[in-house]
Amino acid sequence: MLVGLFFLCLSSRGQYPGYTEMKNTESFKKSFIQSTATTESLQADFIQEKTMTMLSEKMVSSGKFCFRKKDRLRMEYLQPYTYLLILNDGKIYVKDGQKENKISAGSNPVFRQVNRILIDCVSGNMLDNPDFQYRIFENAGSWLIEFKPMAKNLKELYKNINIVLDKKDFTATAIGMYDATGDKTVIRFQNKELNAQIPDSQFNIP
Amino acid sequence: MWFGSCNSYRHMQKSQPRENCVLQFKPEFYRVIYKTSADVKKIHISGLLIIKKMSDNSTRILFTNEMGFPFFDFGFGADSGFTVYQITPDMNKKYLIKTLRKDFELILFRNMDSTSSYTLKDSQLVYHAYPQTGGGINYYVTDIPCRHLVKMQRASEKKPVVEASFPGNIYGNEPDSILIRHLNFNFTISLKKITGLAAE
Repeated sequence: MLVGLFFLCLSSRGQYPGYTEMKNTESFKKSFIQSTATTESLQADFIQEKTMTMLSEKMVSSGKFCFRKKDRLRMEYLQPYTYLLILNDGKIYVKDGQKENKISAGSNPVFRQVNRILIDCVSGNMLDNPDFQYRIFENAGSWLIEFKPMAKNLKELYKNINIVLDKKDFTATAIGMYDATGDKTVIRFQNKELNAQIPDSQFNIP
Repeated sequence: MWFGSCNSYRHMQKSQPRENCVLQFKPEFYRVIYKTSADVKKIHISGLLIIKKMSDNSTRILFTNEMGFPFFDFGFGADSGFTVYQITPDMNKKYLIKTLRKDFELILFRNMDSTSSYTLKDSQLVYHAYPQTGGGINYYVTDIPCRHLVKMQRASEKKPVVEASFPGNIYGNEPDSILIRHLNFNFTISLKKITGLAAE
């Protein structure tokens, strides 16, 4: 896991230490599509690290992550604060302490796009997202896919978004979001459980 | 009664400034992270607001959501000046940036020109007034003996438009909580310090 995280770091030449860029990605894409087709759900613990140029320390938070096909996602932050995000059928629900907020599909397009990226990263649809160009790198144990935003509003926010996939099961080990300012957010997944029964209630938007 | 409601400060007595009184309450934000919520009309936004004093004595204020999605990153120069390092396209509105800048300047105790300052006094409180370049007045309101900072106000010539306070404990001049409430429209920012988030 730590090795995967290390490789999320972008080198000055845009390459990744220990990784080699794949020139022929067709076989990867074929295997990836086949694998994600059999993934109905994924649940995991997550640790999020936000690194900012203005802070010497990382900001670390953690919680529970659930995904169920086709586009249901639940991220529940438990430490050191509580925060719940549910995406279901294009709707966004946020609970911050006692306050709730429902965001319709039409409002806050950038926030919606960013959340969409999370789902696409886990579900395997990211390779089809026209808002991004991608390159694929590999080492012995994982693939690293680097996504560069094409849409103007995303370019203003993100330099690139990287996802590390485990070669054993094509599941995401880490997602790294690199801000245009040089800051980054890395979400690491641990204790992953594929195709577990996740009840509808986990994704209910009240 | 009608005249009274027109000018909130009319009934007060004007007197000489007491600068040392206010400055003892000036907060020091060396590096602090606040769990933050902002309510604008029916919209609720939450996230983490980081305030840090930089090595050049400027102050940076950065606001991200809980997932690390950046909302804005502002810089306040050591003495004056203001820089927008980053702002999400949805929030990149001139009036919003101006409003947030003025709100933060109030709680950071900026633009306190002692040469133009004065005080107003009623039976219980002292309003330490600091006229702002470009209009408006920032008031720092204390009890008469100057033991407590009761509230802060951004005001027009006649009435307050924003009220702010440090409602929780203050450790080493670093407020535990900050509340900023707009009086002319429904906009409230609430900050509560969190610990245990930053790690090497």
